[in-house]
Amino acid sequence: MSDARSFHDEEALGKAYDSRLMRRLLKYMRPYRALVVGAVLMILLAAVMQISLAKVTQWAIDDFISAGRLEGFPMVGLVYLAAIIGILIFTWGQIMTTVKLGQNVQHDLRMEVFEHLQRLHLGFFDRNPVGRLVTRVTNDINTLNELFGTAVVAVIGDVFMIVLIVGFMLYMNLDLALITFVVVPILVVATFVFRARAREAYRQTRLKLARINSFLQEHVTGMPVVQLFTQEKRAAKEFDTINQDLRGANLRSVIYYAVFFPVVEIIGALSLALVLYYGGVRVLSDSMSLGQLTAFILLVERFYQPIRDLSEKYNILQSSMASSERIFRLLDTEPQIVDSPRPKHIEQFGGRIDFENVWFAYKDEDWVIKDLSFSVEPGERVAVVGATGAGKTSLVNLLFRFYDYQEGTIRIDGCDIKDLDTDHLRSHLGLVLQDVFLFSGDYATNVRLRNEKITDDEVLQALSRVGFDRFLKHLPDGIHTEVKERGATLSTGQKQLLSFARALAFDPGILILDEATSSVDTETEQLIQQALEELLKGRTSIIIAHRLSTIEKADKILVLHHGRLREMGKHEELLNNGGIYRTLYEMQYRQKAIGAPSQPAPK
Amino acid sequence: MTMVNTEPQNNPRSRLSTVTKYLRKYRWYLFWGLLATVVSDLLMMYTPRLTGMIIDAIEQNRDPAYIGKLAAAILTLTALSGVFMFFMRRTIIWMSRYLEFDLREEMFNHLLRLTPTYYHNTRTGDVMAAMTNDLEAVRMMAGPGIMYTANAATSLVIGLSMMISLSPMLTLWSLLPLIILPFAVHRVGTMIHKRNAKIQDHFGALTAAAQENIAGMRVIKAYAQETAEIENFRKTSEAYIGLNMSLARVQGLFMPLMRLLAAASYLVVIYIGGMSVIKGTENLGTVVALFGYLALLTWPVIAVGWVVSLYQRGTASLDRINRLLHTQPAVADNGSTAAVGPVKGRIEFRGLRFSYDSRPVLDGIDLVIEPGQTVGLLGLTGSGKTTLVNLLTRLHPVGRGMIYIDGLDINDWPLQHLRRHIGFATQEPFLFSNTIAENIRFGRPEADLDAVAKAGLMAALEKDVKDFPNGYETMVGERGITLSGGQKQRTAIARAILVNPTVLILDDATSAVDTETEHEINQRIKEVLAGRTSIIISHRVSSVKDADLIVCLADGRIIERGDHDALMARNGFYANLYRSQLLEKRLEAL
Repeated sequence: MSDARSFHDEEALGKAYDSRLMRRLLKYMRPYRALVVGAVLMILLAAVMQISLAKVTQWAIDDFISAGRLEGFPMVGLVYLAAIIGILIFTWGQIMTTVKLGQNVQHDLRMEVFEHLQRLHLGFFDRNPVGRLVTRVTNDINTLNELFGTAVVAVIGDVFMIVLIVGFMLYMNLDLALITFVVVPILVVATFVFRARAREAYRQTRLKLARINSFLQEHVTGMPVVQLFTQEKRAAKEFDTINQDLRGANLRSVIYYAVFFPVVEIIGALSLALVLYYGGVRVLSDSMSLGQLTAFILLVERFYQPIRDLSEKYNILQSSMASSERIFRLLDTEPQIVDSPRPKHIEQFGGRIDFENVWFAYKDEDWVIKDLSFSVEPGERVAVVGATGAGKTSLVNLLFRFYDYQEGTIRIDGCDIKDLDTDHLRSHLGLVLQDVFLFSGDYATNVRLRNEKITDDEVLQALSRVGFDRFLKHLPDGIHTEVKERGATLSTGQKQLLSFARALAFDPGILILDEATSSVDTETEQLIQQALEELLKGRTSIIIAHRLSTIEKADKILVLHHGRLREMGKHEELLNNGGIYRTLYEMQYRQKAIGAPSQPAPK
Repeated sequence: MTMVNTEPQNNPRSRLSTVTKYLRKYRWYLFWGLLATVVSDLLMMYTPRLTGMIIDAIEQNRDPAYIGKLAAAILTLTALSGVFMFFMRRTIIWMSRYLEFDLREEMFNHLLRLTPTYYHNTRTGDVMAAMTNDLEAVRMMAGPGIMYTANAATSLVIGLSMMISLSPMLTLWSLLPLIILPFAVHRVGTMIHKRNAKIQDHFGALTAAAQENIAGMRVIKAYAQETAEIENFRKTSEAYIGLNMSLARVQGLFMPLMRLLAAASYLVVIYIGGMSVIKGTENLGTVVALFGYLALLTWPVIAVGWVVSLYQRGTASLDRINRLLHTQPAVADNGSTAAVGPVKGRIEFRGLRFSYDSRPVLDGIDLVIEPGQTVGLLGLTGSGKTTLVNLLTRLHPVGRGMIYIDGLDINDWPLQHLRRHIGFATQEPFLFSNTIAENIRFGRPEADLDAVAKAGLMAALEKDVKDFPNGYETMVGERGITLSGGQKQRTAIARAILVNPTVLILDDATSAVDTETEHEINQRIKEVLAGRTSIIISHRVSSVKDADLIVCLADGRIIERGDHDALMARNGFYANLYRSQLLEKRLEAL
């Protein structure tokens, strides 16, 4: 559904031009000043050649055609040919430079957003839907490409072009130029009136289209409800109403275009008629040559293009506002978990963990961990049990510093984890989750992730130690076989083994394992048990345990209940106590009898 | 379950019939539009000739008043041409918007008839794309496509005849470079299209990379792989730049090349025409007039190549639209009018079997539910409970002879008539972004606020609503408040109650509601259940304990049935579930 969501996001309507945002955006062009200057220079060169075409035409008419002179005429053709080839080269060069500029800025901005995302705390990702964040990195940045890739350079280029042509026309014939410029205000007014109307009409159609899209989106998703409650006719009627709205808005904008294009033609004809008449009279009175007149006609045509373009570029500037605002809002989100400025180092790693009066809430005073204290000795194996909502997962979140706790201290080998560099802290910890997340890529990538320090041999070794080698045999390219559909074709047991191998390859001193709750067949169960023993050997471990076999082998069992540590000890002791542990145990027994997972599967 | 999916035939006529039937509908718009195009072009094509006449007049030292007349003629003809140009757009583009409107309605009305299986197998994004991008491509083909084709054809015919009448030799020469243009446009257009498709693909890869990174953030952070992820993403992003640059190399050449070819035509006219003028075989005015014609013809010639691309894209989109329109609904009325009376509520399953994607879900269900009975349905996830009740609403097709309502095969009931007598609330209910009241009265839009409030009370929603800013008139969803899972479920229960159904089905409809509130609903709903047939699916035994009949499902079969006492005595699935939930309750209290 995320594709559909982002679709909706994109329809979010633009906001007005904001010069503060624009200044911030333009900063990204600073490293590429040379490209901007180069592109503008090439625009100018192309413009000069464009003007020279008019001058060459004048030359051809006055010096050769009117004069009836043949010798030297081929030279005119050559100069003309050279000019048009020059225009081709410079225009192409300018486009390439501009695209390069746009792409570089786009890349920089995309990397900045991506790198910023990597620094944000996990809580941010739990709160924001994946699809929305992906849109920031992809579509929103693409929207800005048009701004950097064409608009900025084109605006500068258009302005220079107008100045050049105006200057040249004034130089050629002052009063004819002034007569020609009579129509300019009409064109400018017509263009801006049209743009303003067309923009408003465009905004209206986008608005109506966004309404249609969200209506469609909602009804495609909720179609069973419409059908069950037999509301098809009503839905069709509502759709008809908003569809008519859209049609109305579209028809209105057709009118604007239908008026604008002929008006531009008429203004063009007006200026042509003016130039022909007044120019003709001047030629007749010998104050101007026929060639000059022809050159003038050609220049007048060139002169309109940049004026029309300028107003269009304004639309691009405006449409980039909404995207850039969303991007900057993300970039301005401060990471909540930051390393201490002078991080400590664990000198000699042992693997001791201490929780001391830890209090934690995801929100306000909704405590999920209450006054939790316990210690794990180096090499000890600890099982954590408790019903859903007892706070087991939060314990993992705190130890990895995915979230920061509000009160108390957590220490590893006597070192407060808030004083450690998070990368350093996490390099000592290994995490195996019940929901195994596989990446696209081959098996090797899924074991070593993108850590190039782990060699193929080490990957193979890790896989064989957890017993995955028996599956590897059947893969055509061994560890370099692609994992299809991010593991959708693998069994739960196979995925679990891969995640064990991952932890083994990183070889952490402390291992945290969230045991899978889904029932697996006995063969897989055995496979996992053996692999688990291999994995836990010689490490401090905390296991959020669901299987009785795992719990029985633990050195210590912690029983969490509503965020508090209620019972602690060995299996037999706790069972004989007859407290929470015993109730949990009996529940599991009943649930096993009906073949249910020991806990309702998480949604 | 099979989906009848008639592939669009390759016969081009039936393939295009989706569009042509609307073109026929708007044939008068089309007729007047084409006429306006011809007249407008005819008037426009006089301008260059008049310009040439002015130049000749100047050369021959004619009276300035004569030049003034010619200049005024240029202005008048262009103005007249402009009026017709206005009508050309006003009719043809206008028509394309009507066509778009009609086709969109046709598609949506078709969507309304398709079953959940279609929506399950089709991504929402694909449906949306067909109704937005594809529809726009088809409109572009039918509107601007036709307009520019007509414009290009008439301009070329008229312009060329004018040019030939002026100077056949010069016309021939000047056209040489222009002939390449449509081919160049089409060829470069195809290249651009291909490179663009590659960029789109890679953009997909870029999106997937970001998506995967963000979705797998917990693993990445746990193994401290952020830096490596950044480097990996950088490579993907750089490759994306490379592809964009390769597109720019072609695309950047497009417009300049076009200008070059146009300019080459000018060069030919200036050079060869100039020579003729010097030799005295042509007038300077003719050369200038030809200049004007070239300027007027360049755009229509370019348009030819562009129109070809429009047509290619349009037909590809049309195929996707046809695929949607040709998908037959898996469930439809069979035309039988045997049953027209009200539904009484006797439900009978006779050896019901049902498979989903050739995976058996229900396997020989025999069950009779008498009118007014309350039946509780229990079973683990995947045991077939939800499918069983879904079949009663015919959201999926059911074979004949397997389900009977009031003794009549379910396939013989008119679809809407049957559904009007069923109230349905699900575990993950879908609410519309509208007010709570509108959501509750969804099945009975004419219900007044009192009726809505009464249904809300039955579903134990009244306390929550009191805290909302505008009570029942509060907007929910994106543009309003976000409801909790339990509040959504209770809204859906109220929605189901309000249609006053003969058969009420609650499919795990209180799973997200806390135990206390659930108890309250169970108490209040008793009043509603009286006199109605009801089926209650739950994972909490407490909700079905008092039912007239409790049925336990496993792997698509009924494994236990009876009332609470009977099932407890059996000491099987039900008894274990019941005791385990008692323990859970005890644990809560500890």
